[in-house]
Amino acid sequence: MIRLRGVSLVYPNGVRALDNVSLEIEKGSFVFLIGSSGMGKSSVLRLMYRERTPTDGEVIVDGMRVDTMKRSKIPYLRRNVGVVFQDFKLLADKTVWENVAFALRVTGAKSKDVMRQVPRSLELVGLSHKSRMFPHELAGGEQQRTAIARALVNNPKILLCDEPTGNLDPATTSEIMELLLRINLKGTTIIVATHNQGVVDRMRRRVVRLENGRIVSDEERGYYFLGLGQTSVLSG
Amino acid sequence: MQITAIATVAVTIFMLGSFLYARETLGKLSSGMLSRIEISVFLNDRVEDKQGRAMSEVIGADPRVSAVTYVPRTEGLRQLQDRLRGQIDTSLLTSNPLPNAIRVRVKNPDAVPAVAQSIGKMRDVANVEYDQATVAKLLRLTETIAKLGLIMICVLIFAAAVIISNTIRLTVFARRREIAIMQLVGATNSYVRAPFLAEGFVAGTLGALVAIAILAIVQAELLPKIMTTLSFIPFSTARVDEVRLTFELLGAGAIVGVFGAWISVSRYLRV
Repeated sequence: MIRLRGVSLVYPNGVRALDNVSLEIEKGSFVFLIGSSGMGKSSVLRLMYRERTPTDGEVIVDGMRVDTMKRSKIPYLRRNVGVVFQDFKLLADKTVWENVAFALRVTGAKSKDVMRQVPRSLELVGLSHKSRMFPHELAGGEQQRTAIARALVNNPKILLCDEPTGNLDPATTSEIMELLLRINLKGTTIIVATHNQGVVDRMRRRVVRLENGRIVSDEERGYYFLGLGQTSVLSG
Repeated sequence: MQITAIATVAVTIFMLGSFLYARETLGKLSSGMLSRIEISVFLNDRVEDKQGRAMSEVIGADPRVSAVTYVPRTEGLRQLQDRLRGQIDTSLLTSNPLPNAIRVRVKNPDAVPAVAQSIGKMRDVANVEYDQATVAKLLRLTETIAKLGLIMICVLIFAAAVIISNTIRLTVFARRREIAIMQLVGATNSYVRAPFLAEGFVAGTLGALVAIAILAIVQAELLPKIMTTLSFIPFSTARVDEVRLTFELLGAGAIVGVFGAWISVSRYLRV
């Protein structure tokens, strides 16, 4: 479903965020991207939704070459790849309902599709009863759930999460991770970049660790820190 | 911010409108004067009336000619006497010194020199005259106005577009969060552009309307005064097509608005 082949990314200021990274992620999997705070994890995600292009290598998402994709096709990629951020990125002057509906409306969806899909998305994240509230009236966890509902409203095959629980307390963090698991069980491929040790250790999913722009380990049922699990595979 | 954009367009379109109005008036005046210029064709002494009239018909058949008048020497003399009454006693003349003549008017003032030349080639034409100096001057004036006009229009529209573009850029910048999210959830560039282009269109059209209103007031108040001061100029022959001018200015405003907005948004989208 998602493939990075020999990808390097050097930012204009000279920082080498990724160095010859190769990664393959199957459809329906749940993957953690971990590593010290820096640009590596976020960069991988940015390449996947074409926020950046690699300096080297290929990025393939759902069978399409994303790094060489024509600019005019990018919106269609983005409709198939939902993204969730640490700061939620909601529109403050729109209600929960309108924030979610926004993602549909920009694709030119008809009113009846909007009326059908928005409630479904809100129900999935458990916010149907708060659809008329504004972001500033919601708790952090609820805002993130709104962001997730929006990311999912177009039924994307992939959901990318960049530090989704970074601004949330531990209890809310668990709720959100539980929600992401539920979504993953329905078939959506999910990639979570995080530095939350607790979350990673509790969920025991595939853990890809990045250090200095390279993948230093890739474990199927990994822990946050190396050595606690099975033998790690070094690459690069 | 909107007010700035509208005011800018208004000022620019006002200048454009004034210029276009003046140009059209001058153009029509000079055309009017040119079309009244007569070409005088003097025929050889031996030409009789019958031949003269035949030649008139030939000249009249030229599609460029709007009116032909055959002036036999007797008539010519009578007109001369009328003109010189009180100045010279023409009864002192023993014979008629005037030749038979043909007076020609053309449809398109530009054609005066050319028509005069082709008539000059006809047999038995002694001399062809027209007020060359005036014709040349008027033609040159019209040409200069046309060239100047084009330059002025381009400069004005460009300036207005730049200023609108700057104004809209402020709006784009203010809404950059929203735009970023739009692009994140998969909006196409056209979708992102649309509201800004609409804003530019509205600002441009409103500005043009303001300008048109002011122009109308100026025309109603100022023009009668100008016309009385310069009463020797036949303004009545130079009626400007106000309806067409209004639509042209509205169109210019709309184009300036949309164009300026397009520039702004595109620069942002590319970044």
